[in-house]
Amino acid sequence: MPVSENKGYREFRRGFWAEGVPFIWISGITVLLLIGMIAGLIGIIVASGAGNFWPANVAKLTLKDGSYLLGPVTDREEEGAAARTQVKIANRDVFGLDFKWVDDSEIVKTEYPADAAVIERMEYGHLQGFILSFKEGDTVTPATSAGFFDMVAAKHRQVSEAREEMKSVQERITHERRSLTEIEIAMRKLSSGPASDLPETKVRLDEMQKQFDAKSETLAASLQGPERELERLEALAACCEVEVAISDGSTKTVPLMNAVDIYRPNGMGPFSKAAYYAGKAVSFLVDWPRESNTEGGVYPAIFGTVMMVFLMVIICTPLGVMTALYMHEYAKPGPALSAVRMAVNNLAGVPSIVFGIFGLGFFVYFVGGGLDALFFADKLPEPTFGTGGILWASLTLALLTVPVVVVSTLEGLAAVPRANREGSLALGASKFQTIWNVVLPNAMPGILTGVILAISRAAGEVAPLMITGVVKLVSELPVDASWPFFHLDRKFMHLGFHIYDVGFQSPNVEAAKPMVYTTTGLLLLIVVALNLVAIVLRNKLRNKYRGSAL
Amino acid sequence: MKTGLKQVLATAAVFTFAATASADVVKLDSGLQPYKKVKGISGNLNSVGSDTMNNLLTLWGEGFKKMYPGVNVQVEGKGSATAPPALTEGVAQLGPMSRDMKPAEADGFEAKRGFKPTRFRVAVDGLAVYVNKSNPVKSLSLTQVDAIFGKARKRGAAADVATWDQIGLTGDFAGKPITMFGRNSASGTYGYFKEHALGKGDYKDTVKEQPGSAAVVQGVSEDKFAIGYSGMGYMTSGVRTVPLSDKDGGEVFDESPANVYSGNYPLSRYLNLYVAVDPKKGLDPLVKEFIKFIYSKEGQAVVVKDGFMPMLAKNADKELAQLK
Repeated sequence: MPVSENKGYREFRRGFWAEGVPFIWISGITVLLLIGMIAGLIGIIVASGAGNFWPANVAKLTLKDGSYLLGPVTDREEEGAAARTQVKIANRDVFGLDFKWVDDSEIVKTEYPADAAVIERMEYGHLQGFILSFKEGDTVTPATSAGFFDMVAAKHRQVSEAREEMKSVQERITHERRSLTEIEIAMRKLSSGPASDLPETKVRLDEMQKQFDAKSETLAASLQGPERELERLEALAACCEVEVAISDGSTKTVPLMNAVDIYRPNGMGPFSKAAYYAGKAVSFLVDWPRESNTEGGVYPAIFGTVMMVFLMVIICTPLGVMTALYMHEYAKPGPALSAVRMAVNNLAGVPSIVFGIFGLGFFVYFVGGGLDALFFADKLPEPTFGTGGILWASLTLALLTVPVVVVSTLEGLAAVPRANREGSLALGASKFQTIWNVVLPNAMPGILTGVILAISRAAGEVAPLMITGVVKLVSELPVDASWPFFHLDRKFMHLGFHIYDVGFQSPNVEAAKPMVYTTTGLLLLIVVALNLVAIVLRNKLRNKYRGSAL
Repeated sequence: MKTGLKQVLATAAVFTFAATASADVVKLDSGLQPYKKVKGISGNLNSVGSDTMNNLLTLWGEGFKKMYPGVNVQVEGKGSATAPPALTEGVAQLGPMSRDMKPAEADGFEAKRGFKPTRFRVAVDGLAVYVNKSNPVKSLSLTQVDAIFGKARKRGAAADVATWDQIGLTGDFAGKPITMFGRNSASGTYGYFKEHALGKGDYKDTVKEQPGSAAVVQGVSEDKFAIGYSGMGYMTSGVRTVPLSDKDGGEVFDESPANVYSGNYPLSRYLNLYVAVDPKKGLDPLVKEFIKFIYSKEGQAVVVKDGFMPMLAKNADKELAQLK
């Protein structure tokens, strides 16, 4: 009996090694580890960032000395017997700091008063306290009166609408005035320029002054309506104030115009909280940042990131595809081709910051500086293209990603069946016609794979952008309604840089931390979305050409 | 620079600010005038330089844009050392620097442009030494700070300081090594701290160099045994600042407004904005208005909001006189 057992074991052992069971196990474990790491990373980002917009309950902590702190509890720390609680006390303009640590032994009582209010302001972040009264002109309504909060909410909505309308009217007026401003700037330049003493200049200036006067008269007439409208809206927006008692015993008045949101989290049910959450998430996507990027939305950064990626794809795809076509279809195999192939592969391994420095030296200083000297000499020394901008950043990233496109296009071309080419040639098509009508469409999935990889690499890249055109804050997008609509010389904001900036350089790093995670999550989502578009496109093409490959 | 601060500010400041010394939020000098809008201001305004002042410039940009919707303000802040080349090349009109320009940098500018860059002192900052909030250390002398951060101990400390008990801490802190956080070498804060706290000696290799001021504070708030330096505007609830004295046994000062304005706090400095003022052509009205805005009541309120200290009215006027 022991003999057969031994034999069975031997057989098992031989099978175990011969069939590579441990190898399968190791591969499986590696995959599991990888999935675990990715899930963990996404988990951390979601867990830390998703709660950012949730209206947390506001605690009132009464302390031993009779004073109290008001705000959401954000953290706890235990050290032996001593424990500490971190409260977001907000009211930055009064307290100086947003957060405060307090020893638990100091706290006498913790409660969640239903009427504790949070006001998100345009400046200085949140104001937390108890609303005392509402003031419109000379009429003061105390908070104890019936239907008070509904009334405040309705008024606030009205004021917010007026504020939005004000913005668009203001924009219209600025837009109309632009031609006037241009004449003014030209005049100033002339009168302060080197030729300012010549008699011709004086004549020219007089002419311009006349032109200016005439134009401003017609404009004044046509802008009368909008300007009156603006005044009306301003008056409407500045109508009301709320008075709030805050925890240091003082009262603060907040003009309704400066309030982004007014809510009382302790009295809100889960549904109204969810609604608030959704509203905040949307405004995070469509609003402009406030308070040096630590509050408000990230709209310009989303816009900048997506536009830069699109520009990059438009530039790097033809470049990469044409390179690969020549290398695969026309170039004779030999040492020269091998050298080029090796160079392309090595290019993919060059650190991205090196591309950034190349972009700065070649595109920004050399090409951009040259363009400025040729076409925008009147504006110098203020550079137009001779400084970082979205065009230079996209070009730099296109260089960075071209090898990826070349390599996967080469693979795509190699996978095109010989029979297809020969068939086309046999029917009398020229080589170019064959490439254009048979080879390229068949290689399309491979090309798109390259584009997908390029997008993934480019969207996450920050280092080369930092020196070729990304900035902390812009006030205008690279695309807008003023001629010539696309302003490729403008600097832009980028989500990746936004994360770096808010995380490492914001003065109020505690308050800004959740924002870092939220932005990171958003950047991941955008990369996934861009990739999905390309993947869907590729699958469609693959299905289309599957039949022809037979 | 410290003596400069002393001479210029001492008398006026002590009287104005002695009363508000204990308040958390600094009051503005009532002599600062509100900003008056002018016509025809639009165009691109680029700023390249200090990252300490990055937020300051961004906030000024936001405020200025509110006055002039046609202005496009673009702010870039990778460190004070990036300002001189950007100004020299004309890539930026504004060059914020948290330290003074070095003679070599100014000469490089002059060689290319034919005139010297103009310095505007736009705000007052105290560089703070931060420790974790649970650290009980009462005060440090700069000699001790030098012994903690510096390799060379140029300020004359007898021995290297590597653990907290060497500064007299007991309990949890006894025998625990000090973790040091600092800035990277492109930063003006790095340069200023090296010059004024380390007596121009080198940093130890073990100082963890961070890419931003907020990162230093973040590092200190997460490590109980850490110490770091940054502008006082970056204070959070997880850290506390250590009052400093110039020498061992000297008088100790915290970074209250009165101490910073009087120059008693040993690490106080001006924040600068460098601008290329061409003596022949004069200054572009856009830049000129921006500078006027900085020295207005609204502009200096932004300084307070960002956690720095505003200019006194009479010094603001002195700086503004450079525009004429």
